[in-house]
Amino acid sequence: MLRMQNIAKRYGATLALEHVDLEVAAGEVMALLGENGAGKSTLVKILSGLEHPDAGSIEVNGAVRAIASPGQAKAMGISYVAQELSVIGCLSVAENVLLGDTTIGVFRSQSRLARLARPYLERVGLGYIDALRPAESFSVAERQLIEIARLLSRKTRIAILDEPTATLSETEIDRVKAAVRALAAEGCAVVYVTHRLGEVFELAGRATIIRNGRSFPAVATSSVTVDQLIEMMLGRRLDQMFPERRGGGGDELLVIKDCLCPGLTAPISLTLRKGEMIGFAGQIGSGANAILKMMAGLLPIQQGSISLHGKPFTPSSAHASIAAQIAFCSDDRKRDGIFAARNLFENLTAPTIDGISRLGVIDRTREAVRARGIAQQFDIDVNKLGRLAGNLSGGNQQKVALGKWIGLDPSILMVEEPTRGVDVGARAEIYRHLRRQTDAGLSVLFSSSDTHEVHGLADRVGTFFRGRLIDLAPASTMTVESMTRAITHPDLAA
Amino acid sequence: MREFAARFALMLVVYAGFATREPSYYHVAGIASLLDGAFLTGVIALGVGLTMVAGEMDLSVGSMAALAGVLSIKLETFGVLPALVASTALAALVGAAQGWFIARLRINSLIFTVGTLIAFRGFALLLAGEQTVNIPIADLDATDFLSAHWLFLSPLGGLLIVVALLIFGLTTFTSWGREIYAIGGGRTEARAAGVSVRRPLVLAFAMSAGLAGLAGAVMSLQSDSATPLGYDAVLLDAVTVCLIGGVALRGGRGSVVGIMIGLFTLRFLVSGIASLGAPFWAQSLASGVLLISLILAEGGYAFLRRRRSFAGVGGLRGGMS
Amino acid sequence: MIPPSLSVSLRQHLSRDAGQWPAFIVMIGVLALFIIAGAATPSFLTFGNALVIVRAASMTGIVAVGMSVITLSGNLFALSAASLGAFLAVIFAIVTASLGLAAGVVAVIVVAIAAGGLQGVAVVITGNPIIATLAFGAAFRGLASILSSNGVLRINGAAAIWIGTGRPLGVPTQSWAFLILTVFAWFLIRRTSLGRRVILTGASRDAAHASGIGVDGVICTALVIMSLMVAVVALFTVCQFSEARANLFSGYDFDYIAAVLVGGIALRGGEGSPLQAALGAILISLLENLMLLNGFSAGLRIAIVGLVVVAATGTFHVLGRKHR
Repeated sequence: MLRMQNIAKRYGATLALEHVDLEVAAGEVMALLGENGAGKSTLVKILSGLEHPDAGSIEVNGAVRAIASPGQAKAMGISYVAQELSVIGCLSVAENVLLGDTTIGVFRSQSRLARLARPYLERVGLGYIDALRPAESFSVAERQLIEIARLLSRKTRIAILDEPTATLSETEIDRVKAAVRALAAEGCAVVYVTHRLGEVFELAGRATIIRNGRSFPAVATSSVTVDQLIEMMLGRRLDQMFPERRGGGGDELLVIKDCLCPGLTAPISLTLRKGEMIGFAGQIGSGANAILKMMAGLLPIQQGSISLHGKPFTPSSAHASIAAQIAFCSDDRKRDGIFAARNLFENLTAPTIDGISRLGVIDRTREAVRARGIAQQFDIDVNKLGRLAGNLSGGNQQKVALGKWIGLDPSILMVEEPTRGVDVGARAEIYRHLRRQTDAGLSVLFSSSDTHEVHGLADRVGTFFRGRLIDLAPASTMTVESMTRAITHPDLAA
Repeated sequence: MREFAARFALMLVVYAGFATREPSYYHVAGIASLLDGAFLTGVIALGVGLTMVAGEMDLSVGSMAALAGVLSIKLETFGVLPALVASTALAALVGAAQGWFIARLRINSLIFTVGTLIAFRGFALLLAGEQTVNIPIADLDATDFLSAHWLFLSPLGGLLIVVALLIFGLTTFTSWGREIYAIGGGRTEARAAGVSVRRPLVLAFAMSAGLAGLAGAVMSLQSDSATPLGYDAVLLDAVTVCLIGGVALRGGRGSVVGIMIGLFTLRFLVSGIASLGAPFWAQSLASGVLLISLILAEGGYAFLRRRRSFAGVGGLRGGMS
Repeated sequence: MIPPSLSVSLRQHLSRDAGQWPAFIVMIGVLALFIIAGAATPSFLTFGNALVIVRAASMTGIVAVGMSVITLSGNLFALSAASLGAFLAVIFAIVTASLGLAAGVVAVIVVAIAAGGLQGVAVVITGNPIIATLAFGAAFRGLASILSSNGVLRINGAAAIWIGTGRPLGVPTQSWAFLILTVFAWFLIRRTSLGRRVILTGASRDAAHASGIGVDGVICTALVIMSLMVAVVALFTVCQFSEARANLFSGYDFDYIAAVLVGGIALRGGEGSPLQAALGAILISLLENLMLLNGFSAGLRIAIVGLVVVAATGTFHVLGRKHR
């Protein structure tokens, strides 16, 4: 059904895909595996017409085709289901299933739509729901199934599912798996992108693994073990990327006891020392970042107690956390990390406006001194402070997003995905800057879906799987392999 | 239907509150004047409501009504109906162009229609020569049929019912209408699902301008004259009607039934206040206060919920960037 | 229009303090209009006419400058400015007539702050500044009518008349106020910590919130600032004509918005300066004056201004997207 050969794609200086082959037969579920940044998403974008390959050929149904646009991909029967669902809450279930279907005609009654959608809903196990009700009244899992029903209604021949189970519970996952099987049973070629290796064995006949932009020949899941898959996924990486540890661990700074918040399924306890860096590893939806968000005052505490500097502390709002000198850097840099339309002076001093003003008037000298100081610490070119943050590279934006907190003189710096959207060279720099901060006595908590990053950078490592802290131990007692197992398939991590 | 129950009850309460003081409410003539009085606001609210459902808002309807009113008086020499049809069609065409630009430029419709609001007003003044325009005295009889009544139904009331039924059909039984809900309820999701944003936007803005044009032309022809500065308060009433009727400011939500309930709630309130002997300018205060309480009630709940997270703090949705 | 080499060097120059380039475009527009008009219209380039233009721009300009603070904070516009002006004018006239000028001024300031604060709360809660202020506008207009019984309220007194018609150094008081308030607003936005908070809130409400800036308070303050600017205009207008009516400023809302739009202030917020709104007001006043001197009809003038606004909005929108 689908044959992609020798696909290569370059973004500026970085080679995203070097040489990738992907072959999927009709009625087959092909798992697409790889670490973050291995090139999975680039491949998926090429297949769905959002990006164009620099080299290589794509055959659909035996004919060589160029996929110029998402519309063309759709016309060829290729559908992509992103992690962010495209189910529209205010429309009825039936309308959502048949959305964009031009064969029904302009005039359509709800009951006719419900009748037409019924068979598709039944095939994904949603036969019991009232198709006339708005989609927003159903759970995330049910909406995921509605989305798959839409693929069925469109007679999709090639379906790409991007981590469809990331935010679902066990029982819900079983239903989505059944729907994916139904999709394959219709003769659809399914490309199933996932980080959960357990699903791969249950669902997929074969798996294609991408590592650093190159693909391995597809392997039959019946002939490999979890360990072999992990070994193929994890390439050798440059170890000198990570700064040396100086054995962090001063006095106890933060003690979290039996805390629970949305995103966690089991209470968590941990102690963070002065100058220590703890990293949480976990996939999206695993709850690795929940404690960070809770400490930043963005998620309510449901139970448990927190003490900071030996005193009880409740992060009741973002404001309260900042006042307690807890800084939080979210993974969505573009949304709340930087002010894209403002220059770096203003960006770097945003959390400390009062500190650079006198009687309500901004002291431009103080502003410049503070911004320069941060820029020097984070290797940002001081001559470029007048530039707009939005015009910087991802790495420099991340330095700005992190650096602006230094002016606050925080006691804890919390970072979600410290190097998302940052190229390899700038990564090492950001690791070095974070380590330098802990050497100076700052404590750092970070979460990441990049296992290498957590293992290489943190003093202590926590692994998360489905809202549960699997293990928290010094990084030296863990290997990347054991961590990967813990965050993808903890049942095998004996 | 449950969602309408509360709104319907509110309408009945307002009605009952004033009906005891105003005996004419029970008469056929009372119903007729109620329908006639609701025509202008109702027809325009149905159009503006469509743009609100799409997650946008057409602020230019008042100017468009004035422009179409002047145009229809000028065209009356070719006959009343041709004048009516031509003004409405032209307004719809201009509205379609407006929707196309908003979709093409991905510009916030609030901004774009503020500009056209000024421009349409200018065109109306230009066309009218900056004065009230009148139908030639010889033709006065020709428009009398617009003021005729059959029991409680006049052409105005009938037209309001027809327009409401048409919009109801459009938004319930056609894919074009449902696409308006789709882009209002989740624009990125709709795009991802392969729904074009352009067609529903063009349709919604064509309808809002066309209905504003229709309302302006009918009202002007009925009164045999049009002033280029008229209809400047109609937007406020139309938005109030939509909000009472449950059209969400964020888009994706709203129905013809709700808008009709909102329309009559406002009409009962306005005529009720008038029946209490309050001066006409008190109506402005009443509708202002009503609208303030409505948006505070709608926004207050969501506001309290999103205080705790970043997620809801983003600005206006729609074509902001 | 601009040769590529020049536009490149211009962009390099502007990139140091980006967000300024629309101001330059508007300024160039003003100058170009001046030159064209001066050449084509005999009575245009006189000191007297320049004063007429600035004076005509003053009352719109002051409100537009206040409005620009709201726009900069990322909240588009307030549609209540004109009605609030009428409301404040009525209050000023009532209090001045019974308790004297000083009490009138104090009353107007207090009411303006309260009205701005209330609107700010409504804007924060609803998240839709246009609708929230539209509703408040109706309420203000209604209150103005009720307080004045829809009649004319007269005031008199030498001080009030001087405020309304005085000409220190040959320039009308209104124009002085316009100049001073523009400089004040510019200083507030560019140099004070409050202004910085306004700008950052407009640039990204989420990022401002995440940086510990109290965005809700900032938005309320922006509406209070606009209300105070409206209060100044109401005061001058009542003094100038020695009377207040509930239908004062009726229909002016769109003039204020037009000035902000033509000034090229980014509507997504966080970029631009109140200076641009002032320039926009002058540009429109210039255009109006020019059309008036050439005998254009009122309808044509409004239509042309409307088209200029639509064109400016579209152009700045497209340019702004490219610039990013």
